[in-house]
Amino acid sequence: MRICQRSVLFRRIALAVALGAATALASPASAQKAGGDVVFAQSSNPPSLDGMVTSSQASRNITMNMYETLFGFDENIRPMPILAESVEISPDGLTYRIPLRKGVKFHNGKEMTAKDVKASLERYRKHGATAGLLNPVTSIDITGDYEVTFRFAKPTPTFIEAFASPRAPAVIIPEEETGKDPGKINFIGTGPYKFVEYVPDSHVKLAKFADYAQDNRYKGPDGFGGKKTAYFDTITFRVMPETGARTAALEAGEIQINEQIPIPTARRLKGDPKFAIYENKTWGFLTFIINLKQAPGDNPKFREAVQVALKMEPIVGIATEGLFSLNHGWQYPGTTYDAGDIGKQWYNLGDAARAKALLAEAGYKGEPFSILTDSNIPEHNKSAVVIAEQLKAAGINAVINQVDWPTALKIRLQDTGWNGWTLVMGIEPYLGPVGVVATLVGNTAHFRQPDPQLDALYEELISGKTVEARQETFRKIQARLYELRGIIKIGDVGIAQAARSNVKGFTPFRFPRLYNVWFE
Amino acid sequence: MLRFVIYRAISAIPVLIVVSLVCFLLMWIVPGDVASEIAGADATPQQIVQIRANLGLDRPLFERAVDWYWNLLHGDLGRSYLLNRNVTDAVMERLPVTLSLAGLALALAIALGILLGVLAAVNHNRFLDQAAMTLALLGLSMPDFWFGLMLIVLFAVQLGWLPTGGFVSPSEDLIGWARSMTLPALTLAFTQMGVIARMTRSSMLDALGQDYVRTAKAKGLSAGQIVFVHALRNALIPIVTVTGVMTGVLIGGAVVVETVYSLPGSGRLIVGAIQRRDYPIIQGGLLLTATIFVFVNIVVDVLYGLLDPRVRHGR
Repeated sequence: MRICQRSVLFRRIALAVALGAATALASPASAQKAGGDVVFAQSSNPPSLDGMVTSSQASRNITMNMYETLFGFDENIRPMPILAESVEISPDGLTYRIPLRKGVKFHNGKEMTAKDVKASLERYRKHGATAGLLNPVTSIDITGDYEVTFRFAKPTPTFIEAFASPRAPAVIIPEEETGKDPGKINFIGTGPYKFVEYVPDSHVKLAKFADYAQDNRYKGPDGFGGKKTAYFDTITFRVMPETGARTAALEAGEIQINEQIPIPTARRLKGDPKFAIYENKTWGFLTFIINLKQAPGDNPKFREAVQVALKMEPIVGIATEGLFSLNHGWQYPGTTYDAGDIGKQWYNLGDAARAKALLAEAGYKGEPFSILTDSNIPEHNKSAVVIAEQLKAAGINAVINQVDWPTALKIRLQDTGWNGWTLVMGIEPYLGPVGVVATLVGNTAHFRQPDPQLDALYEELISGKTVEARQETFRKIQARLYELRGIIKIGDVGIAQAARSNVKGFTPFRFPRLYNVWFE
Repeated sequence: MLRFVIYRAISAIPVLIVVSLVCFLLMWIVPGDVASEIAGADATPQQIVQIRANLGLDRPLFERAVDWYWNLLHGDLGRSYLLNRNVTDAVMERLPVTLSLAGLALALAIALGILLGVLAAVNHNRFLDQAAMTLALLGLSMPDFWFGLMLIVLFAVQLGWLPTGGFVSPSEDLIGWARSMTLPALTLAFTQMGVIARMTRSSMLDALGQDYVRTAKAKGLSAGQIVFVHALRNALIPIVTVTGVMTGVLIGGAVVVETVYSLPGSGRLIVGAIQRRDYPIIQGGLLLTATIFVFVNIVVDVLYGLLDPRVRHGR
């Protein structure tokens, strides 16, 4: 098929390149200094360094410095080409021609070609942690040494936005690695740092990749792409589970960047010139999910009572130790799909008297309301305690069932055995409306009972041809979420990171970008 | 003595069989599995079923148990679901860290504990007795994660003498190894020291009241000879018993200290595996730990024989 017309999407991505070139995180050239080993401390082991098979943040921290994708998000969460040169979409929306950047080298010295791209994406279909991203693609064809073409059965206007997701990134690896099972590949990518060693429970070491092909379309790094420059000789990701020990190591100068520090510690270190503290208030959404298949949560009036009973400020305040924003919306304020005041009248009410009246109307007889939470993620168990107390004050017989994370994941897949579940949506809100709503539709909806209205709106969202059409759909989705109340928004959760002040160029992001960062 | 050791080794086999069976069954009882952990919070039930099938977790329990024992007989503890390596390799790689930690902590705890206990017994009901027992009680009651953090703040952050954590292999750098193990070993030893000190004190008080001590005094032996040669040797049997049990506790229970000091030890490996339901690591790790525990108990029994000829000669 001949590509006869460039689409709106292509123009948008081309624009992203131009804007990126202007707004990339460029730094004064004279300030940068090469060399050294930077030590980044994180709390847990990466489950895998096979970039595409896991959606874990602990893995992403490391793998996004090693691997690259065809497309990614820029600083403003718009899709941008990284290993792709561009994308041209046919007028019927069924063919995407994707020329690739030339001269991109893998860490094994081989040049990346269309064969590697096709083989990597076919592996992603089999082993990718979010392999469903490629479901709309019927075939991936090699249409040149440096070009692949995706073919679709029906137009999917949001495909590139979804495909650019860093959640479980569709990274490109050498063709010869693609036949291997998950986790069994040699960790070879195209990124600015290459893999050296992994000692579980101790550290992961990366080294500067001397033959890294910089993306000169940009002035500096931009989101997940841009022009990346590795200044450090090596990076050590140290696995330090104990929060206090990580803080002590930062203070002692043994580590230079700390993935996350407690908010009181951040406040203590803030005035000290030896440290730089970074607050990121848009890290995740704290939510409370209700099982729609299990009484009393199956009763809409009961759910309304729960919504009315909850006062969000103490819940999210205690859960986050103070770094939070009250936000009723299912997108971050001021972002493209922010649905405005829809649902705000139901948010942060804490009206026990009204909740009691609604419970009477619902015919609630004091049945136990079991709140599922886990011991592994503090925001989950702390918020569960405050929610339970607020619900008790409204007359609901709330009990907490705290288990470990794998058990919680197992229980929440059952239709019975739980009524409420506390969950921080981490990367989903960052991914935009599709990321959030995808977890709430179909048979896998977090609240167990699919909602036909929400399912239909999701289909409308992913097939919306323009941003304006999708914005309108998302407003309807937010309204529906406040009618259904299968999931209740508690608030926006922030995190604090810290670095030694001699680390320059570091800007907090969805993963620690350790390129374009150097020691003073 | 050799017959005694062989007899004890053979009698350990049924213990290990029971331990391995308990390890296997426990994993079957515990809710949640590795498939949910691998798939993550947003996985569909179909994805989880697929992962379970890939890992063989959908096979009948009996079939899996037969496999487990068959492989065990061939010296194969299986392959970790998440680490992508043999369980034996994964555990053996971690054991030097845990054994270094437990060994140093035990040596410190024994030396300090016996010293404090003897000091307290010899100065019974005097100031030194009270001071030694207060210190022992402090060690017993102080949570090791808190004590560990306090040591880090003092010696690593404030004074900068020692590292905050991490492990240096002795084969790479002996001084680095000693520096990396000092604070963790001190933390772990302090709690255990309290147990040994109290046990030593009570055993020594008992021994010092015996007729043979009075006889030794009458013979004009020096105080040092009476305390260390006669009384302490007789007081050692209960101390050795406690130390034997403690060795197992130290190996299995070093996980808190390993976590505080970011040490890649076998305790963290097993606890991490429990949290993520990596069954082969849990089963293999627990079995190896139990084997060490049984071995230590054999050593303790041999020591009894050395200390007390009545045990050796079956009297």
